[in-house]
Amino acid sequence: MPFFGKSQKSPAELVKALKEALKALETLKAGGDKKAEKAQEDVSKNLVSIKNMLYGTSDSEPQTDIVVSQLAQELYNSNLLLLLIQNLNQIDFEGKKDVALVFNNVLRRQIGTRSPTVEYICTKPEILFTLMAGYEHQEIALNCGTMLRECARYEALAKIMLYSDEFFNFFQYVEVSTFDIASDAFSTFKELLTRHKILCAEFLETNYDKVFTHYQRLLNSENYVTRRQSLKLLGELLLDRHNFTVMTKYISNPDNLKLMMNMLREKSRNIQFEAFHVFKVFVANPNKPKPILEILLRNQDKLVDFLTRFHTERSEDEQFNDEKAYLIKQIKELKPIQTDGTSQSSQQQ
Amino acid sequence: MEEDDNVPLDPQPVVEWLDDDEIAQLDLQTISNSLQFNRVSSQDIIYQKKQKCKMVGRYVMGDKLGEGSYGKVKEVLDSESLTRRAVKILAKRKLRRIPNGEMNVRNEILFLRSLKHKNVVELIDVLYNEEKQKMYLVMEYCVCVLQELLASAPESKLPLFQAHKYFVQLIDGLQYLHGQGVIHSDIKPGNLLLTLDDTLKISDFGVTEKLDPFAPDDTCTKGQGSPAFQPPEIANGHDSFSGFKADIWSTGVTLFNITTGAYPFEGDNIYRLLENIGKGVWSVPEGLDPLLSDLLVNMLRFDSKERYTIQQIRNHTWFMSSPINTGDSVPIPPLQGNALRSSTVLPYLESYHYESRQNNVYFTEHDLNEAEEMARQQETSSSSQNMRISKNNSITNEEAFTTRASSDLNKKRRTKKKFISCISVKKLTHCRQS
Repeated sequence: MPFFGKSQKSPAELVKALKEALKALETLKAGGDKKAEKAQEDVSKNLVSIKNMLYGTSDSEPQTDIVVSQLAQELYNSNLLLLLIQNLNQIDFEGKKDVALVFNNVLRRQIGTRSPTVEYICTKPEILFTLMAGYEHQEIALNCGTMLRECARYEALAKIMLYSDEFFNFFQYVEVSTFDIASDAFSTFKELLTRHKILCAEFLETNYDKVFTHYQRLLNSENYVTRRQSLKLLGELLLDRHNFTVMTKYISNPDNLKLMMNMLREKSRNIQFEAFHVFKVFVANPNKPKPILEILLRNQDKLVDFLTRFHTERSEDEQFNDEKAYLIKQIKELKPIQTDGTSQSSQQQ
Repeated sequence: MEEDDNVPLDPQPVVEWLDDDEIAQLDLQTISNSLQFNRVSSQDIIYQKKQKCKMVGRYVMGDKLGEGSYGKVKEVLDSESLTRRAVKILAKRKLRRIPNGEMNVRNEILFLRSLKHKNVVELIDVLYNEEKQKMYLVMEYCVCVLQELLASAPESKLPLFQAHKYFVQLIDGLQYLHGQGVIHSDIKPGNLLLTLDDTLKISDFGVTEKLDPFAPDDTCTKGQGSPAFQPPEIANGHDSFSGFKADIWSTGVTLFNITTGAYPFEGDNIYRLLENIGKGVWSVPEGLDPLLSDLLVNMLRFDSKERYTIQQIRNHTWFMSSPINTGDSVPIPPLQGNALRSSTVLPYLESYHYESRQNNVYFTEHDLNEAEEMARQQETSSSSQNMRISKNNSITNEEAFTTRASSDLNKKRRTKKKFISCISVKKLTHCRQS
């Protein structure tokens, strides 16, 4: 019976009730045990009602468009989305999931070509920053992650996130010790860097130095998963034609080549393999800058030898073998630009 | 001496020679029995569908899904993972007949191996059979080709919301391909597959080109796609052109095709067609959604420099808005009478394991004839449809014709092969056992 009472509440009433409950929860969070419990219960109850309005339940359909748009309007006006996210860790377990469900549903709302919630969030970027900071709190990190990835689908929101200082916190988030949080953060990080090709390419070009100094740390991370994942992502980024400028810049830096050559010798075969896919770009470059060429020449024989014995068990993988053969041929045929550069001292490897 | 011994022991058997008359008599007797023609009604001759379980590697073979110039596509079941797959069977013998055939296949394998995206068909396994000179490309199972869906739709076009859903995925896939420096060169409904959950997959990388990772731009020189989907710069025989923009054009023609059921350019034969494309004059059909028309105009710009980029398409209003769902989508049409397109591998497995228990399905010659008649009628109607398509469309290169003819021949041979004739006799009323 209480079910009917609740569903008859108008969107405005629901939003108001939820806001009050949240406010109560916020002020009471320190001491009032009984009252806090009551407030928490209220929050959860109202969240369920809102969720049912948007998604329907097993025995009722979602509400009509008019009711949903009223609800959305109320959510914008009351600034409730931000409030919910700010107090996410006070809300109980099911409630946290409901917040994510409501948030994502409202975010996807579309009227013709307009996405009103996206426009709303553009005017309230704190929502995004609060969500990003959610990775610092274990109990809400994954909920924030689902909301963030939903946001990242929209170019306008992805742009705000990418160009914010907070974005660089991801370089820490992806390395935290809790595995599920780190990998969730990594998938959001990857989404932001690959989803909107043109935007991402522009971002990487304009922030090249900053991004790649940070990135270098990931590649040198003590955490195996971080090292492997970031190396794989680096390969994907460099080999995407949209990032052509970034790629040419990256492969002209001898330090990057040294790093990759060292990674080719890592203990993990998977890392060796990923490193190969970045290393090949340096060698295939038809216009190798002098420092790069010098390093390759210094190690010419060793590289040929090393590559010949490199992952020989992958005989099934034709592409890999073709590429390897090509690299060996390229390295063998390397000719020094000047005669004095032929010193065979091998300092690298 | 020996003769003497023999005589008493072996009394000579009485041989009764028949004279000619008697033979004639005897013959007449036997002959008269069987000389009368036993009329067997076609309903009484029965056939049984051959259900022999065949395996290639770890895959259990099912029925044919489709056929192209290179060979057949069959459904298979992975016996280890129990997933449904499709296998493209390529016979070396056939490939040699197609210009660049073997190169194209090598290409396709190489590209597909390195690509991984939701909207690009995944190559799972490649098997070779040296003895039969065959190659098997095992791929993700897709339930339907967009072309088939289109052909089954009223007026050969899809409702806008459905077309939009596929188009968005096509652009996603294409953007990924271009990001990998891959130019598909043959985007058309016939190369777009659909899965059961309505995910579009770009397939057929036979004429795909890959850019050198260090090439400064996307200049291409080949241009081998299907004529009706080729851009003016290829139709006019330019030596080099922008590969990305050529794909955009084909994608534009595809969008035009799935939303209107027509083609922007037509021609009685391939020369006329290419001539018309070369002029690049076309018009939006009346009554088409104005936003969609605007997108089409920009995707089918004569000058490839003015033609939209993927980014511009993404930012176009029609792309961003989701057209209102106007009723039902065009459903996936039945395949060979099977509305659900259910697994064709299972019957083979069932008959292999439970043959005794299974009620065999028998065909009589009468049924067969009727089915053949039906098929013939369908073929004529579909071939007239094909004619219509090819008139305002593509395919018109010679090899397509020859392969079609030969595939027709094959088809006939196959239907014969499929049935074991008269393995048992249901009832032969007029036939006396001798």
